[in-house]
Amino acid sequence: MSDIRFGLFPDDDDVVRGLRAIYAAPAGDAYWNELQSRVMARVADVELGWWTELDRWARPALAAAAVLLLSAGVAMFRAHQSEAEIAADAMLSSPAVPVSSAIRPAYQDDQGARLRFLFGR
Amino acid sequence: MRVDTGHVSMTAATIIELPFGMSPAADAKPDERALVVAAQRGSNDAFAQLVRLHQRRAYAVCRAIVLTHEDAEDAVQEGFLHAFKALDRFLPDQPFGAWLYRIMANASLDLVRRRKVRDADELPEGVPMPFRDPGESDELRRRLNEALTKLTDRQRSVIVLHDVEGFTHGEIGEMLGIPEGTARSDLHHARASLRRILGDVRSDL
Repeated sequence: MSDIRFGLFPDDDDVVRGLRAIYAAPAGDAYWNELQSRVMARVADVELGWWTELDRWARPALAAAAVLLLSAGVAMFRAHQSEAEIAADAMLSSPAVPVSSAIRPAYQDDQGARLRFLFGR
Repeated sequence: MRVDTGHVSMTAATIIELPFGMSPAADAKPDERALVVAAQRGSNDAFAQLVRLHQRRAYAVCRAIVLTHEDAEDAVQEGFLHAFKALDRFLPDQPFGAWLYRIMANASLDLVRRRKVRDADELPEGVPMPFRDPGESDELRRRLNEALTKLTDRQRSVIVLHDVEGFTHGEIGEMLGIPEGTARSDLHHARASLRRILGDVRSDL
């Protein structure tokens, strides 16, 4: 195969011709059919592996975990929010004891004790 | 996984007529997008057709990066395997070829790295890996092979991908993970080096 001819000073075309000869892809359909078969055989091997199932479930599992985390976050946030609302409601909307009676009893009790002390019961 | 094929000899005339290593049959592409979608839905037949469509070009990409025909075959198989596993992440609106050849280039670069580690243990430093060239009978061709070993791996890949396979600087940059300007400059330096080395060779003969 002496089909590469360089001039005295090889130019780019000479180099390209030489490179093409060296890097020539195999010829003939038989070779490519065989290569395709080998590729597909390896693909089939991969498909039969147990890790394929794992790989197949990895994405849904990740998505499910993300949804769960998100749901948990939302639930916690809502719980916190409703607790705060209940506390605020309880504080604002329930004057169960009038202010005067809420403060006075202790004072009145003290006063009564003093009077009882002074006047000898 | 290696098989000695014995199919690498090819006349230069054929090579020049079909510079990208593509047979006329490979040009008659069926609807590639439909094949990709079918393969993504689990059709192995569709994936096999995609392999058939792209394997020659994939081989050419790998062959430009690795040193031997056998390594190119290994890289092609690895590349298709990676592509198969990553198929569900491919967006069918993108050009499938560009995506696939990037995977092929990565598989080849991985293989080159692994070979370097292995060869560092097994071979004395500075011994070049021989190119597979069963029909080698021409002195200048042998010298061109030698000249190619004087280039850096990247320069060699760039000049082959550009001058032999016809990829653009941008495509090469994307495949090899380098800026387009670097690919351009590598090509310039590679050509200059080869011209210089071969000029020296010619004057020696």
